[in-house]
Amino acid sequence: MPIQRQDAASALQEIANTEKQSHTAYHYQKAAPHLFLWGAIWLIGYAVTYLRPGWYPLWDVLIVLGFVGSFLISFRTRGKGSHASFGWRYAATFIAIFLFVTALFAILPPQSSLQIDAFFPLLIALWYVLIGLWTRGTRIALLGLALGLLTVGGYFWLQHYFLLWMAVVGGGALILGGFWLRKV
Amino acid sequence: MDTKTEQPDTVIHQPQRLKIMAALKALPAREQLEFVRLKTIVGATDGNLGAHIVTLEQSGYVEVEKDFIGKKPRTRVRLTRAGRRAFEDYIAFLREIVGQE
Repeated sequence: MPIQRQDAASALQEIANTEKQSHTAYHYQKAAPHLFLWGAIWLIGYAVTYLRPGWYPLWDVLIVLGFVGSFLISFRTRGKGSHASFGWRYAATFIAIFLFVTALFAILPPQSSLQIDAFFPLLIALWYVLIGLWTRGTRIALLGLALGLLTVGGYFWLQHYFLLWMAVVGGGALILGGFWLRKV
Repeated sequence: MDTKTEQPDTVIHQPQRLKIMAALKALPAREQLEFVRLKTIVGATDGNLGAHIVTLEQSGYVEVEKDFIGKKPRTRVRLTRAGRRAFEDYIAFLREIVGQE
């Protein structure tokens, strides 16, 4: 039986919808473990430095662990079609971020530790918003937006409890976000 | 009324299999999709999806890989090169009917 134009158009629309859903689910599946990891790091890092202000160097250890952990997650979940240059591109991404932050702080030195505490969550929030926009991942973009708003809100209105706020709300939001992404 | 008398690829033409192919085509080349996730995207039951995947596999359009994560079985499906080409041909067929090409 011949296919009519309307049926063909409807099939093409169905294909487009399915492709979009699959594409989004694919990226969410890749992102979720990173959110669990970084949520745990935020939770531990901010909670410990709130309770023990002298333990700031703990962040150095946690950030290194986070980068190594993220690399291992990405390496394990990378597809068979991934390029062999994956490791180099991953390393180059973090070197670029490190250089950017170093240059930024040299040009605009932070006036307080609170500014640094708020800056990195904002940077990560921006990162999620951009990833969400460019991968059509609405949930990732919304999560980034929520993180940004929570950070700014805590910075201006909860300065005395900012670290605790970021531990519970920031770290918690990342972990919950990971579960949210996995639900697709 | 515009119609096309040439017959499409009957394997892909079935609506559920078309959705399976579309879901797999959306992934980067050689990437796999887990059975459970594919089931959610396609909106099929286990048995129904399994049967369609067997049909697609027999046609050489998809490859199935089964393994275990701990004690939990995992089935992953990916599009083959022949499957990708067949799907693209099918899309071209549909577009020709609609008049986009």
